[in-house]
Order: sequence, then C-alpha cells, then structure tokens
Amino acid sequence: MATLQYILKRLTLMIPTFLLVMVIIFLLVRFLPGDPALAIAGDRASDADLAAIRDRLGLNEPAWVQFWLFLTNTVQGDLGTSILMRTEVLDVVFQRLPTTAFLTVYAVGLSVLIAGPMAFVAALNRGRWPDTVIRTVFQVGLSMPVFYIGLVLLTFLAAQLRWFPVGGYGEGFVSHLYHLFLPAFTVALYTSAIILRNLRSAIIEVLDAEYVQFARAKGLPNRVILGRHVLRNALISTVTLLGLSIGNLMSGTLVTETVFAVPGLGRLMLEAIFARDYPLIQGLTLTFAVLVSLVFLLTDLFQSSLDPRMRLS
Amino acid sequence: MKRTVMVAALAAATALCTPAMAQERGGTLKFARYDGSRLIDPIYADRNPDIWMVGSLFDTLLRTGSDGSSVVAGLAESHSVSEDGLSVSLTLRDGVKFANGSELTSADVVFSLDRARNLDLSPWAGLLGSIKSVAADGNTVTISLNNPDPTLLSMLATFNTGIVSKAAFDAAEGATDQEKSAAIFASASAGVGSGPFYMCDFEQGASMKFCANDNYWRMGSDGKALPYLESVDFEIIPDDATRILKLQAGEVDVAEFVPFSRVAELEADPKINMNLYPSTRIIYSPINTRDTRADGTPNPLADPKVRQAINYATNKEALIGLVLQGAGKPMTSPLMAAATPMSTGETPLYSYDMAKAQELIKEAGVEPGTEITLTTLAGSADDSTIFAALQQMWSPLGLKVNVEQVDGATRGAKNRSGEFDIHTYGWVNDVNDPSQVVGWLGYHPTRKAVGTGWNNDEFNGLFEAAAVELDPAKRAEQFAKMQDIYAEAAPLLFMYETPFAVAVSKSVEGYVQTPLGNNIFDEASVNR
Repeated sequence: MATLQYILKRLTLMIPTFLLVMVIIFLLVRFLPGDPALAIAGDRASDADLAAIRDRLGLNEPAWVQFWLFLTNTVQGDLGTSILMRTEVLDVVFQRLPTTAFLTVYAVGLSVLIAGPMAFVAALNRGRWPDTVIRTVFQVGLSMPVFYIGLVLLTFLAAQLRWFPVGGYGEGFVSHLYHLFLPAFTVALYTSAIILRNLRSAIIEVLDAEYVQFARAKGLPNRVILGRHVLRNALISTVTLLGLSIGNLMSGTLVTETVFAVPGLGRLMLEAIFARDYPLIQGLTLTFAVLVSLVFLLTDLFQSSLDPRMRLS
Repeated sequence: MKRTVMVAALAAATALCTPAMAQERGGTLKFARYDGSRLIDPIYADRNPDIWMVGSLFDTLLRTGSDGSSVVAGLAESHSVSEDGLSVSLTLRDGVKFANGSELTSADVVFSLDRARNLDLSPWAGLLGSIKSVAADGNTVTISLNNPDPTLLSMLATFNTGIVSKAAFDAAEGATDQEKSAAIFASASAGVGSGPFYMCDFEQGASMKFCANDNYWRMGSDGKALPYLESVDFEIIPDDATRILKLQAGEVDVAEFVPFSRVAELEADPKINMNLYPSTRIIYSPINTRDTRADGTPNPLADPKVRQAINYATNKEALIGLVLQGAGKPMTSPLMAAATPMSTGETPLYSYDMAKAQELIKEAGVEPGTEITLTTLAGSADDSTIFAALQQMWSPLGLKVNVEQVDGATRGAKNRSGEFDIHTYGWVNDVNDPSQVVGWLGYHPTRKAVGTGWNNDEFNGLFEAAAVELDPAKRAEQFAKMQDIYAEAAPLLFMYETPFAVAVSKSVEGYVQTPLGNNIFDEASVNR
C-alpha cells in the first residue's frame, strides 16, 4: 500500500518536470536558427510559398499561443503531425520506440553481464594482476568515443569476419538479438566500464565491512557471504548509477543508431533536428523525458527493495 | 579419378556463373541509400530522394533519349507540335496498363497534367505555366498553350508530369489531393502508376521496396517485358562508412553517395565497380553582391573586380584534388554543368592566375587585411577543406578569410536574408533544359540570383525572351549571351562539377544514375 502511494506521488511529481521540459524544448527549438518552412519547402521555394507554409503550420501565431496549443494538445495525447514524416508524431514514436527500447535494454543487460563478474574478479584479487588487467582494459573502453569503437567493431567483426551484419534491425526476436549485438555491445563497453569501477570499489568496501567479517567468523560458506551479504549491499549504489547511465544511453542512441543504421528514436531525433521538425523534436524530447523519469522511478523502487532501510518517501 | 571429378565440378560451377549471353531475370537488388523517400508522387516530390525515384513508379508521356538531350516516345507513341507552337498533340500507346492491370487512358493523362499544373498543389506547377488547357479525344491528348514554350516537350519527359491513375485518386481516402496522395503512398498501392515498378512496401524513414510491374510495356533485350528484376529493396543508411561496409560485406548490392575520399580504395576492390556517373551537379559559392552587408557595413565584394580576383586566385584543380581526390572537373560554363543542354565554354572558367588576381584587387583598391567570412556547413569535411584551401589561396590578395559554420537550414535562411559574404552551395538540375538552373542562378525575380542580389537588366531580358523562343538556334544564342554576361560579372565563386559516385557490386548490371540524378532500375539485373 505504501509502495503504491509512493508510486502515485512520484508520478504526480513528474508533472512539473514534464512541464519544465516542455517549456525548455519549446523555447530551444525556436531559438535554433533556420526556418522549418524553409526546411520543408527547400531553398528554391519563393518567399510567398514560405509564408503560406508558416501560416499552415501556425508559426505566425504568437509564441504563447503556440505553446498553449502544444500544451493542451499534448495533455489530450496529441503530439501533432510531423513535418518531415507527414504522419502523427505519436504514431512515429510508437513505431520506433520498440527498437530503441530493445537496444537500450540489450545494452544494459550486456553491461551488467560483462561488468558484474569482472567487478567480482577484480575486487577479490584487489591489487593483483587480474585486477590491474581488468581495470586497464575497461579504462580504454571508457576513454574511446562510442562512434569510433563502433566503426572499428563494424569493420572487423562485420565487414571482414562476417560474424555480424553491418547494421540494420532484422525481423523477429532472435534476428533482433543478432542484428543489434554490435551496437548494444559497443554501448555496453562504455557503460560496463563505469559500472565496473563503481561496483568494484563498492564490493571492496563491503568486503571490509564488519558484518562481512562477522559472517566469515561465523564460518558461513563463501558463496553465501558473497551472494547474500556482499553483492546485495554493493549493488545499492551501482543500481543508482545504472539508472543514471540509462538516461545517458538514451541520448547515446543518437550516435549509435546512426552509425549502425538502426531505425530507432535516436536516429529519428537527429533527422528531426536537421529538418527543424518542431512537432517531432518536441514529441521525441517529451518521450525521452517520460522514459528517463520512469527508469529513475524503477531504480528507486528496486533500490528500496534491496535496502529496506531506505524508506519510500 | 579424383582430379576428373574436380574438373567436372569446376566446369559445372563455371557454367552456372557465366550463362551463355542469356539475360538474367528475377532476383532482388539491395540498394543502400543515404536518405529515405518521404512521398513519391510526381507533383509533390520536392526532395532529391523523392524526385530521383519518381521515374521508377510513374511513366511520362515522353522520355529523354539515350543522348541525354533529345526526347523520344514514352507513353505517347507519337507527338506533333502545331506550326504556331501553340498546341501539342500526342497519341497514346495502345494497351498500356497500370501496375494493378487497369487500363491507362487519356482521361488519366488529362487528370495528371491538370494536377501537375495546379499552382495550389505542386511546387513544380510554374514549370508548366504555359499550358492553357489539356483535352482528350479517344487516345489523343491535345495540350493548348498560352504562348510558345520551348521547354514543353522536355517537361513532358520530366518527373513532375508522370501519369497517375485517376481511378486510384478517386477511390483514395481523404478530402484533399494531398491527403489522397499520402493515403495512396502509405498503402503501397499497385494501382497508381504505370512505371516499371510499383511500391510494394514502405516504412517511413527505414526501408522501402519496389516490386516489378508485370504489365510494363517496354521490352527487354530478350524480347520479354521489362524490368528484369523482381524487386528492389531499399535500406536507409545515413552514415557513409556504414553504407560502404554494408556493400563490402555483401549485404547490399549498391551503395550510393560514396565520399570521394573513398573512391580510390573502392576502385581497387575486385568485387566492386566504382562508378562515377556524369552529373549536372555543380558546386559553387554565391557571393553577396549588394553594396552593403546586412549589418550596414560596406561590402568589398560588391565590386565585380574583387569577385573576379578571388575567382582567379582560386586554384580549382588544387581544390578538386583536395576535396574530390581528382574525381571532378572545373566549371566551364558559369551557369550550368557541361552535361546541360546549351552550355558553352570549353575551357575552365577563371583559370588560376595569381598575377591577374593581384592586379584586379589593386585596381579595386581593397585594403590589405580586409576580412571576408565564408559560411560553411558544420560537419562537412569537404567544406572544411574548402575553407582551409581558400584561406591560403586568397591570402596573397591581402584578404583575411574567416569561417562561420552553420547547418543546412541556417545556411538556407542566411542565403535568403543576405546575411553572408560567401557560402558554399550546390545544385543538380531537375529538368533536362538550362532554363531551370539559369533562372535559379541568374534571373533576379526568381530568387535574387541565388541570393547574391545580382540584378542585370540585359540578363533578365534575355532570360525572358528565351522562355518563349521556339527556334533552338536562337535560343542557344540567348543562353550563350547570358553565360557570357554572368561569367564576366562573377556573382559566384565558380568551383567544380562532381560526378555521382555510386559503388555497385560486380554481380549487378544495367543500373544507372542519370545526369539529373534519377535512379534507373528498368534494365538492371543481378547475377548471384
């Protein structure tokens, strides 16, 4: 019951966040130089054509009228019509959302699978060579730009060795897993490096904690100590970090989806910005805001289930 | 024994690979594009990724001949122009069908042309401004004109006069023509065009598929109907490197818009034909010719001598080497690519001549240290190279070149408002006639001579006269004169022409991109 109340409260608190996001993005796209009418009609259009298009799009209305329309329509679930795609923004978003969600979850899954065991190995061998090797390798992953790693992986694993397809999304679950492996792995390399650093030091900290030494003294088997006491406690801060990095991952899809030719929200965002597609930019930003807020909420819920001392309030 | 088996197997394999001259039929061509189509409708197509695909789905009454300038029969098997030049009559080919099997009639032609010349609908309607009315009688269509129009026959071979099915539009959902067109496009209907293909699948921004029109009227080299291919699969891959990798990995058969820096590498690839198709694409830079800049300060580039000087000081060959790795040529006509009908000039314009440039700049009295801003596209490697080169090339003139990097939409806005000194730009003809590009670059009423503000009465008069001149020789003379005037005035930095660089797998034959950029799959085939 308390959890449900908490969730409701958090959801209510998101409303001002979204309002703020809407104000900011509304202002930002209008501060961008360049005219959406020009982006639609092309450089060759006459001034009269441009005026007609601006009129049709309602861009001649005062800014506050445009914002009010944006606000009221959004509340009613209408994000407007994309200038670029000539279809409802909401339709386009829902069409692309599964791809980006799949890629993000995939990348997070891979990051955890990579970083988890490695962090344990590094922490348990603190200061010895496995620790040094693991930390050095992941440091490299952290310091190289995602698009560069992506291209290197594409060139070797896809184009030369033919182990993976060069971009695309595929059809069906298994094919998605296969097609999106390289992009997910590229992103995971970066994310897992961040998680690894955090998890490793968290584990070390917990290993030194008195309750762990007590558990050892009690003669509990190592498996139980690591699983029940160390992992659970070490995960608390890592889950926060994971939540935050999912936010990062979503903005990262702008690059990843372009390099790997994945038709998702990130690539769409990039196209929308270049085309000055105001409704689509606004709709996508709002979508990202909703997704990130939900991820943060889930993170908090998960955290409180890990650590009962953390009250949901 | 073993060896005999091997030899027999080899022989069999060879036989499979090299069929005896028979035309390959069937199969799917996979095509990697840099950008996707949004709406392929003859009258609404306004971006190159749309325009360049119209011809695959919609036939026109006439077609451009293989020489690139003449017009030959299309859906109309014959045509004649009246002596006063005020009417054109066309006889339709018998038995032409839309891709869904329904008959193409003269009513469809009237509907399509009326739609194409409707100023409220099509951005291209102005190109058909001379048409007074279109009427049909049996299989004859008569076009009456307000004034003689030398471009009309070319226009009937241009994408915007592609013939659509009236029945498809009547049946489509939607209150307006735009809505109907969007509905037809979204449903990937076979019944709207009579081109060699119809669109059988479409996912906005991601992929598109063309399937062969089984009712197509043109015949292939094997005496059976075109096209040879069963289908063409398009995938949008905006990233250049990924597009090329896809081709190298054999996942696609064609990768378009190969960056020129990669051409040499792909030429060396034994599995790839690196094609450089001749194009009407020109790369140039409009120069602001107004007396004062937008901020009110005096504009040194208002003086034609200064504009001539920077043209002489620009080493085009060096630019072509730097930017295109040699895969281009200097502009020879100031107003169009050499592949455009009626282009004049055999030798490069403003061949590099630093002494002359310095003399001109001295005559113009330009102070050393005068600053000029070059506006370039952010993120464009080509533009960055151009800036670095021009900065060096113009420093002996005492000019200090600054750079301002913007995105495409901003550059367009600046061109329109005149808030620039010089900016990079490009053009590809949409029409097989010089009037379009000359109107764009030089005729002030169109768009202030590509935003330069250059306004020359003699030039404008010649342009207007050429628009109604039916005698090809006289018209060519008028265009020659316009090119002379324009070269002398130099409202542009004349740079170079570039081909279309398309990398094609060796298993593909017969695919071409025309000088106008149109992707032609009619006679393409794959042999895997």
